[in-house]
Amino acid sequence: MLSRSVWRNLGYNARRRTAIPEVPYRCFSCSQRAQVDSNKANQDERMTHFGFSNVPESQKESMVGAVFSSVASSYDAMNDFMSLGIHRLWKDHFVRSLNPGSALPSRNTDTTGKGWNILDIAGGTGDIAFRMLDHATNINYDHDTRVTIADINPDMLAEGKKRSIQTPYYNTDRLSFMQGNAQDMPNIPDNSVDLYTVVFGIRNFTDKQAALHEAFRVLKPGGVFACMEFSKVENSVFNAVYKQWSFSAIPMIGQLVAGDRDSYQYLVESIEQFPSQEEFRGMIQKAGFMIPGRGFENLTGGIAAIHKGIKPLSQA
Amino acid sequence: MAQPHHLTRCHAAILSTSKRQLTTLRTTTRSIIPQCTRQLHHQTRPARRQPTPAHLTSSPISQPTRRSYHSEHHPDPPPHEYTNSQTTILSAALRHVPTHGFTRDALTLGARDSGFLDVSVQLLPRGEFDLVLFWLASRRGLLRASVDNGLFEKDERVKAGLKLTVEEKTKLLIMERLRMNTEIRHQWQDALALMSLAGNIPLSLSELHALSSEILTLAGDASVDASWYTKRLSVAAIYASSEVVMTRDQSPGLSETEAFVERRVEDSSAIGEKLTGFKQCLGFVGSTAIGLGRSWGLKI
Repeated sequence: MLSRSVWRNLGYNARRRTAIPEVPYRCFSCSQRAQVDSNKANQDERMTHFGFSNVPESQKESMVGAVFSSVASSYDAMNDFMSLGIHRLWKDHFVRSLNPGSALPSRNTDTTGKGWNILDIAGGTGDIAFRMLDHATNINYDHDTRVTIADINPDMLAEGKKRSIQTPYYNTDRLSFMQGNAQDMPNIPDNSVDLYTVVFGIRNFTDKQAALHEAFRVLKPGGVFACMEFSKVENSVFNAVYKQWSFSAIPMIGQLVAGDRDSYQYLVESIEQFPSQEEFRGMIQKAGFMIPGRGFENLTGGIAAIHKGIKPLSQA
Repeated sequence: MAQPHHLTRCHAAILSTSKRQLTTLRTTTRSIIPQCTRQLHHQTRPARRQPTPAHLTSSPISQPTRRSYHSEHHPDPPPHEYTNSQTTILSAALRHVPTHGFTRDALTLGARDSGFLDVSVQLLPRGEFDLVLFWLASRRGLLRASVDNGLFEKDERVKAGLKLTVEEKTKLLIMERLRMNTEIRHQWQDALALMSLAGNIPLSLSELHALSSEILTLAGDASVDASWYTKRLSVAAIYASSEVVMTRDQSPGLSETEAFVERRVEDSSAIGEKLTGFKQCLGFVGSTAIGLGRSWGLKI
């Protein structure tokens, strides 16, 4: 009985929400309306994915912004519910495999400088950045490695800043925040970054290839581009289960926990739209990176995958 | 349709015959097939080399040259599969192995030496195990190079005019390969430990097989029967065990290891002899038993 009443309530809420959108361009249903309007406005503008719908490139940024503004505060709780806590294992594994921080003291002959300069793109809430700093400090005893967290969304950055107060890196030169678009970061000089990470962010970019080219520009020769993103499940049986989970359970959890079905509907649709492991590896290669070994590592049967690319030394 | 399949090769036209004619077809089959085979023989015969008249060959008719079963046109596979940048880092890292062992530190120092960053060791997805694999593969390449540079010719038995047998050559090669490990002997147990991790075992074994196969090929082994496998197995076993002995060998010039290799090679040939003897014995007893049974009137 109880469950039925909850269910009815949910349905009611969902209907009401789609009927009266509170914030313009906030939700998935709005996006469809926005798309229709803009189609009338200018037919010749380039289109891009927003979940399963097509939107003009100029609008995707603000629409993704709206999604993440609305999920910022409940971001971690939702990740735990959606991935059953596995996302923490993935993130730990990602950081451990990168092994940030120099364990060896730098020698007189070395030209590399002290510590790593890490740029964490789309890392608003800082969960990757804090993990990397912890790893560098506690595992490699490196107190010079620094992380710049960049995010396009001020709400996510604010969440990260709030959390950084709890860490020992608060108000030190090892941690800095920057608002910016990963496709164009004019305030980051060429060849200045050791490690460029983007974790569960690149699928929201309007132009992924442009972001990869920008990553190639800011990285030092020998620097590493590392990306963790949802990907394609390889086992077909597991894939069926996973699809069932992501398309029926995740939007519902989003509604129950964060009270926002449409943002989570967008999340699962954007996961579905993201290129497969091999295609994305091709895109990394196209940007000029060297691919180590197979180029990607599947996590939990391919639900997520870690991609890596290394910027070659310039041919002197 | 029960049409004889082999007919298609001879006369496609026959196939157009209808079902009703099939019975007549069957009767003609017997006469067609010998014709067909005869034709085929005619076609193949010109391809066969005509015996050259004796007066054209300069020397008295030479014996047919013995050819190995390994094609010369088949290019040697590269000793390893690493790209240029990976090779640069790895070969620079090998210089740090005697002091730092097969570790990430050695890799990082190698990367720094060759102008890369600390983070560039990400180029090697298997980390320190890549260093071990690269060591094995590059030493295997060096072994071939040392044979090309006259490893066998330096042996005093050859200088004395004797010819080395395959077994003697194998022993020489195993010792030569072991001597390459001398400078990293104190780090080798770590490498063995790395190789014995569950995920690394398949690659380690395939590398061991590549080495034993290389040793036997260089020694001139031309076996094409089941002994191809047993020889490779025994060389692999001898090599792997003497590697372990070597990590604890303090004697000058690795004389203890050499004695160990000597004993193991003797053992393996002794076991081989015992096995052949046992097989012969078994065959003799078996045929006797069958003969005895037949003499008693059993339908064997």
